[in-house]
Amino acid sequence: MDTDNTLPEPLPDGEVHQKIGALTRQLHDALKELGYADQLRGTMGELPDAQSRLSYIARLTGEAAEKVLTRVEHAKTQNDHLAAESRRMIASLVKDPVAAVAKGEIMNFLTDVEQVTKVSDEHLTEIMMAQDFHDLTGQVIARVVALAATIEQQLVQLVIQTAPPHAVTAPIEPLREHLAGPVVDPDKTPDVVTDQSQVDDLLASLGF
Amino acid sequence: MTTALRFLIVDDFSTMRRIVRNLLKESGFTEADEAEDGVAALNKLRNSKFDFVVTDINMPNMNGFQLLAEIKGDEKLKHLPVLMVTAEARKEDIVAAAQGGAAGYIVKPFTKATLEEKVTLIIKKAGL
Repeated sequence: MDTDNTLPEPLPDGEVHQKIGALTRQLHDALKELGYADQLRGTMGELPDAQSRLSYIARLTGEAAEKVLTRVEHAKTQNDHLAAESRRMIASLVKDPVAAVAKGEIMNFLTDVEQVTKVSDEHLTEIMMAQDFHDLTGQVIARVVALAATIEQQLVQLVIQTAPPHAVTAPIEPLREHLAGPVVDPDKTPDVVTDQSQVDDLLASLGF
Repeated sequence: MTTALRFLIVDDFSTMRRIVRNLLKESGFTEADEAEDGVAALNKLRNSKFDFVVTDINMPNMNGFQLLAEIKGDEKLKHLPVLMVTAEARKEDIVAAAQGGAAGYIVKPFTKATLEEKVTLIIKKAGL
């Protein structure tokens, strides 16, 4: 089969500009005529929201990572201290077990162990709590994905409506309604609470 | 202190179910089971004995509000205290939960102290 691989002759600058302008006008008129202009404008309006949601994810995951690393560093320092004290205690017991007990070294060591394990447990609890970012960011990601799906759906509808009559069309799945999910920007969101004390105050004002 | 009270933890995120379960265990509540949404929760509640429900709101299949309504509308389950633990921070959601019969409402992210305080308070109020 013969193919023509030669590029068309370049158009003069003014003519290119005019053609792009005409195409833009055609697209605008087509969208308006099909009733998609407002719909698309609405979706585009949600893009800054998607941007702040993605920023929220970045912030939350960053904070979680920082929190975990800080706690791990503290726990490791305490662990090192405990390991050093254990070695010292073993040496002391090997050298003179009676003196180690009599001088209170054993008791001091055990008190130390108890305190360190208590603090270690607090570190572990905080490390566990830091994993809640998975739930919170997961919900936000789901909303951003839903927005992408809406844009895709609208574009697919546009393609279907503008397709030639013989083209195959696919049914459009309706989108699921969602609850609001985590508040990513409390300052710009009216009628939301920002901490547990506000929840408690609201419930108390309602008599609960 | 450990108690024999049996908890059902409902959340579509397994991470959060594990966090709540571990926190309850640290607070002495060692008996707990989990469900990933309202439908699975109702199934477990109707086939086994529980004393306390801790549920998320935003879940697939059946959300926390629907689960709350099902529990409060069921003669055999309506006595169960339901604590909502959720990222839904709109005032209208908090009011709706209270009016729907929720025993408490915690917004995520939360602390171990908050969960322990609310659970203890609810248990005391319910006379469990």
